[in-house]
Amino acid sequence: MSRRQATTAWGAIAAALGALLGAPIAGSAEPAPLRWAGDSEGGAPYVFRDPRNPGRTIGFEVDLMNAVAKKLGRRAKFVQNQWDGLVPGLKRADYDVAVNGIEITEDRGREVAFSIPYFHTFEQITVRAENQSIRSLGDGGGKVAGTLKYSLAERILEERGGIEVRGYDSQTTIYEDLVNGRLDFVLLDHPVAVYYGEPDPRLKSVGRPVGELSYGIAVRKEDPALLAQINQALAELKREGILRDIYDRWGIWNPVMAEAFRDTSPSRPARELESYLEAMGQKRGWKERAAQYFSYLPLLAQGAVTTIELSFLGMIFAVALGLVIALLRLYGGPVLSAGATIYVELIRGTPLLIQLFFIFYGLPNVGIKLSPFLAAVIGLALNYSAYEAEVYRSGLQSVPRGQMDAAYSLGMTRLQALWHVVIPQATRVVLPPMTNDFISLLKDSSLVSVITMVELTKVYGQLASTYYDYFGIGLLTAGAYFVIGLPFVRLSRWVEKKSSKGRATVV
Amino acid sequence: MAPAPLIEVENLHKSYGDTPILRGVDLKIKKAQATFLLGRSGCGKSTLLRCLNALEGFELGKIRVGSVEIERGPQRRPGEAQLRELRNHFGMVFQSYNLFPHLTILENAIKAPMVVKGLSRQDAESIAVPLLEKVGLKSQLLSYPSQVSGGQQQRAAIARALAMSPRVMLYDEPTSALDPWLVDEVFEVMKQLDEEGMTQIVVTHEIRFAREAADQIVFMEDGVIVEGGPAEEVLSSPEDPRTEAFLRKFK
Repeated sequence: MSRRQATTAWGAIAAALGALLGAPIAGSAEPAPLRWAGDSEGGAPYVFRDPRNPGRTIGFEVDLMNAVAKKLGRRAKFVQNQWDGLVPGLKRADYDVAVNGIEITEDRGREVAFSIPYFHTFEQITVRAENQSIRSLGDGGGKVAGTLKYSLAERILEERGGIEVRGYDSQTTIYEDLVNGRLDFVLLDHPVAVYYGEPDPRLKSVGRPVGELSYGIAVRKEDPALLAQINQALAELKREGILRDIYDRWGIWNPVMAEAFRDTSPSRPARELESYLEAMGQKRGWKERAAQYFSYLPLLAQGAVTTIELSFLGMIFAVALGLVIALLRLYGGPVLSAGATIYVELIRGTPLLIQLFFIFYGLPNVGIKLSPFLAAVIGLALNYSAYEAEVYRSGLQSVPRGQMDAAYSLGMTRLQALWHVVIPQATRVVLPPMTNDFISLLKDSSLVSVITMVELTKVYGQLASTYYDYFGIGLLTAGAYFVIGLPFVRLSRWVEKKSSKGRATVV
Repeated sequence: MAPAPLIEVENLHKSYGDTPILRGVDLKIKKAQATFLLGRSGCGKSTLLRCLNALEGFELGKIRVGSVEIERGPQRRPGEAQLRELRNHFGMVFQSYNLFPHLTILENAIKAPMVVKGLSRQDAESIAVPLLEKVGLKSQLLSYPSQVSGGQQQRAAIARALAMSPRVMLYDEPTSALDPWLVDEVFEVMKQLDEEGMTQIVVTHEIRFAREAADQIVFMEDGVIVEGGPAEEVLSSPEDPRTEAFLRKFK
């Protein structure tokens, strides 16, 4: 898995500084692992968390990449990244290849190089069990169809016309919406239908295969040697029957594959599919259920640690930077003050998500390549420093001018007056909004999963998509956020109580 | 020959932007004198006070207190350290008290001695507590400013200023924000200080108190001193018609 090595905040800072200064990474004797990226939130059967042991990542692409890496004499190392970010991350050289049901298309071919296809499949129509009217795309006029965003299926539906298309981020929710009637039919890659649609007795797959698509391993264009090695490995794996074996075990061998591989022998039992369905279909008593939720805790805790590290570091830097900016705005003279104002307005006026993408995927264009952790901390810190600066500015301005006069008249210097008189009073004003900001930063930290960080929300997405359980795991995750934020809510109350002391009205 | 006055102000000019506030003020104040600055609102008397202890800068002129002299002209510009040296001779009491609301009455009085003079808390308290007792706040030491009356706050502000051992006390309308029945308790403290020989400069509209306590009266209008002299003379037989008109309103 892609968890960082640094487990303490200081370790993380050190690592981050090292990355900043371009410190060389210690070399090792064994060959570098083949780092391949996918999104384990995407679900079965590609890359997903093992329902029997959520600490493990499994899937037919895991088996595929292990086999490919073995051919290359290397060890396969999985790197988690948001699906949308797989190609940008590859171009950033965060990993060697991207493999996650990525269709070989002309558009993508302009960005990255593709291996020979490792898998061929088609789009499958799925409807509710009682539905008799939809048997092909031709019956879909005026109906509501669901599919994954930016997928081939989405394009097919849109080109067809007359169909209302809903694009989803996660395949699990698509079939849920079909069951509960929000959708009339679903068009998705056949393996997805096999794992999420067909096992549900309330749904059925209908009609002939729609379209045809091929998945390829994406490699940087600057890396032709690796591409050649991978193509050779795939060819050997195909010849040796290892690919066929993987697809049989996962139950996704299909007529298109048979034609492409010129292999019409009957399929062997789909052990992995059966094992998956068994794990998902088990009727559980409340004790087993509780035990299962309990088994998620270590993973959620890991995500929570990342969330806490990010939030704390982000807030510390935001507080420091915000104070500097507020002081510049108030006392910095016309030029610096204007600069600080522009900074605040610029940062506040743009979404955090865009800032994160810019820092992580945009800055490498000018030669600044930050680690995901550092990029996340900087993104959160910059964003919140603008808000903190405004909080401090209004806090400092809330202290009456006469306080400064009194301090001066008692012989204090400006610094002494600020430190002993103005800042203590401003602090009482700014602490409650600061606490709010911290809690909001804590929740905004969930956005950093777009730059490959696996924090609490990402773990939630992975677990929920594996177990089809957005409710129970959702409650657990919400609880975790609540518990992390709780000390700050208490702190805020305490400060309010304490600061009311000097402000009691005259009796 | 009489000893040199403690404070000398010469040809002081001060303006806010294009608006002149002080237009050549000359003033001499002897040690242990109580000087009352009178005049209409906006005549420049508060600004003069704030210039004396360098809360405001000025464009032209000279201020001397004891041996510290500050001169400002086209070629001369006093430094920050020099301004603070001047300031150290003065204690200032403000119309709105300006106590530090986050500190107790006692902490208000020991903060500056500790921060500015570097005294230990114990030493600072040994100076501040008797002063606070003297102004009648013995039982309010641990109260916060918001918990005591306006009169008590202003007396605490006087003690706070005294704790820095100034040679001159400045009062900028010290009773204007007080309810009428609280005015006298503040004046009593000021009178006691006068008896002890403190040099004091008071900006006020309380002619009654000026009559009672002033050694010298200075009457200002439009940024200049129009009349100044021994209190009884100026109050009973003002020479300038503007002074007379002003005083008549208060009779």
